[in-house]
Amino acid sequence: MNKKLSEMKYGEEGIVKNIEEDLRIKVSGIGIRIGKKLKMVTKQPIKGPVVVVVDKSTTSLGLGVADKIIVEVKK
Amino acid sequence: MELTVDKRWDLIDKISKQTVKFKKYKSTLKEVIGELTVKPLTGIPIAIAVLYGFWSVFSSFAGFFTDGFLVKLFDEHWLPWIQGAFPGGLHNWFYNLMVDVGHIQNGALVPSNSCFESFGALTSGLFVPFGVVLPAIFIFYLMMAVLEDVGYLPRLAVLVDTVLHKIGLHGYAIVPTILGFGCNVPAVTATRILETRKQRFLMMTLLGIFIPCGAQLGIMQEVIPEYMGLIILYLLFGYFVTGFILNKVFPGKTPEILIDVPPYQKPLTRNVMTKVWVRLSGFLKIAVPFVILGCLIVGVMYLTGTMDWLANLFGPIFTHWFGVPKETVGPLVAAFMRKDLAVAQLSAIEMTKYQMVTSVVLVSIYFPCLATFAMILKEGGKELLGALAVLVASTFIYGGLIHLIWILLGVA
Amino acid sequence: MKVLLMGHPNVGKSVLFNRLTGTNVTVSNYPGTTVDYTKGYMRLENKEVEVIDVPGTFSLEPKDKAEEVAVKMLKENRDAVVVCIIDSTKVERGLYLTLQIIEEGYPVVISSNMWDVAKDKNIQIDVEKLEQILGVPVVPTIAISGEGIKELVSKIKKAKSVEIETIVKKVGGET
Repeated sequence: MNKKLSEMKYGEEGIVKNIEEDLRIKVSGIGIRIGKKLKMVTKQPIKGPVVVVVDKSTTSLGLGVADKIIVEVKK
Repeated sequence: MELTVDKRWDLIDKISKQTVKFKKYKSTLKEVIGELTVKPLTGIPIAIAVLYGFWSVFSSFAGFFTDGFLVKLFDEHWLPWIQGAFPGGLHNWFYNLMVDVGHIQNGALVPSNSCFESFGALTSGLFVPFGVVLPAIFIFYLMMAVLEDVGYLPRLAVLVDTVLHKIGLHGYAIVPTILGFGCNVPAVTATRILETRKQRFLMMTLLGIFIPCGAQLGIMQEVIPEYMGLIILYLLFGYFVTGFILNKVFPGKTPEILIDVPPYQKPLTRNVMTKVWVRLSGFLKIAVPFVILGCLIVGVMYLTGTMDWLANLFGPIFTHWFGVPKETVGPLVAAFMRKDLAVAQLSAIEMTKYQMVTSVVLVSIYFPCLATFAMILKEGGKELLGALAVLVASTFIYGGLIHLIWILLGVA
Repeated sequence: MKVLLMGHPNVGKSVLFNRLTGTNVTVSNYPGTTVDYTKGYMRLENKEVEVIDVPGTFSLEPKDKAEEVAVKMLKENRDAVVVCIIDSTKVERGLYLTLQIIEEGYPVVISSNMWDVAKDKNIQIDVEKLEQILGVPVVPTIAISGEGIKELVSKIKKAKSVEIETIVKKVGGET
């Protein structure tokens, strides 16, 4: 099932399906690219940033950025 | 030749498939703690505990050294010795500047018995930076270096991002903010980690106005510990309110946070010590000359009558708008040079608790010290004029507002 | 000849710099606090060689002031050898910056740092294969304990520039 990274739940894992064009270069630098596996670690309350693990390293992104990343979540 | 971004990543994918293998492993304790400190439910209480611990160690360590040892050294040994050894006396202007201005007791001019009152370049000018501020700054930078090297700060940045986003900054801004509680000069440099001009301008303005530096905190802890909580509350409140307004008023973007959360590491003693040493020596180079110069300038202004003239000129604003005694003009002049010196001076003026809180808040916000100002000039350039306008406005509004609060509470 | 140390923030670059030069510098775990760059000297074949600790950067497309400084420093030192420090647990990202520097034509040595952390996480890196594909020396290092530093120093003079097309061909791709 495809959903936005910002909508993933704690502990959910998935594969990045799509990233909005203008954001691709920026997030690729921190390891997030189409085809990468990622895991949601936590979301901060009141529209705070999300924290994800990609390739065993932890990264935090603002919710606005996470909105533009589509992930296929494993059932 | 150069590849396109996509081609480069393609190439990297191919290389890594042939060379890197991720095998299964058990999570280590470090990683478990790593997750606990970034999840809000556990992370926020831990963050509060860490900051509270930071604060408790800071205040008790500095107090222990200053009260238990350095005050005695300066007041019981250094001051009496130099009062006797330095040529001249209380009626000699050079002696007044260098050693002791004395004070009036029962109509007679008598020598001071503490380095807080003497205000000579060789007495207060040495006591303030070495006796009071140095222990405070030392423990501050030691704890800061440990927090940095352990890798806690990025987690703190993630936790506070939500709040700081509301005032146009993002989580990263916690680093210059905390650094500012040590000294605003390196804090202004650290604003470079913020991405847009708007963010840097906001951060520098807020730092310059609302974040009291370690020197000031150290001296407040020493002379007016009972008012500290209230003063810091006022300053932090000002930080958020002004940030909120500036964010609405100034154009520009606030980018989203995008940071790496590194694994925890054991700090290396050598690295921590070098870092503390580099920062301490940087502090001494800035602080000592400015404190001594500040003592001299303020002394000259008193001796020549300039200070009385200024006090009479600005007196009405001080007494009516801010509700503090007109003698506060002196410390405000000193605050151009050093905040710690200014607070030390304020503590020697007779006033009520509420007037003291107001005047210390005023001293904190009305102008960044000269060294910080120079650094903002260097880093900020043109934006500085904007910052100054904000500064003047917030000093007047905020000072008046605090006075109003006291009036409404019926204590002014 | 000059040696530039380049890499992402948080890869132990400043610690490595200390190891190489032995001078005192501030070391920070947090991206951003080592914005001011540090310079020092190291002995290489009985000559004093200048070493510059370039501010951490993710790529050669700067996104803040510190990164701008990093890119500027690289372009100002056309004759430099670049030691690319990568985090062994994040090889892919590290390679992105490394490839960009290789594409610019600089002779490169790779220090695959934090080797111990990668081992903890059971990440296996085939160093020989990586050297063979990239055509530049790759040295596993643990800057914090000093492991691998001697070998890294001995490989600095073996650094060479490589055509990116050669690398692409070796992994069986097309440009």
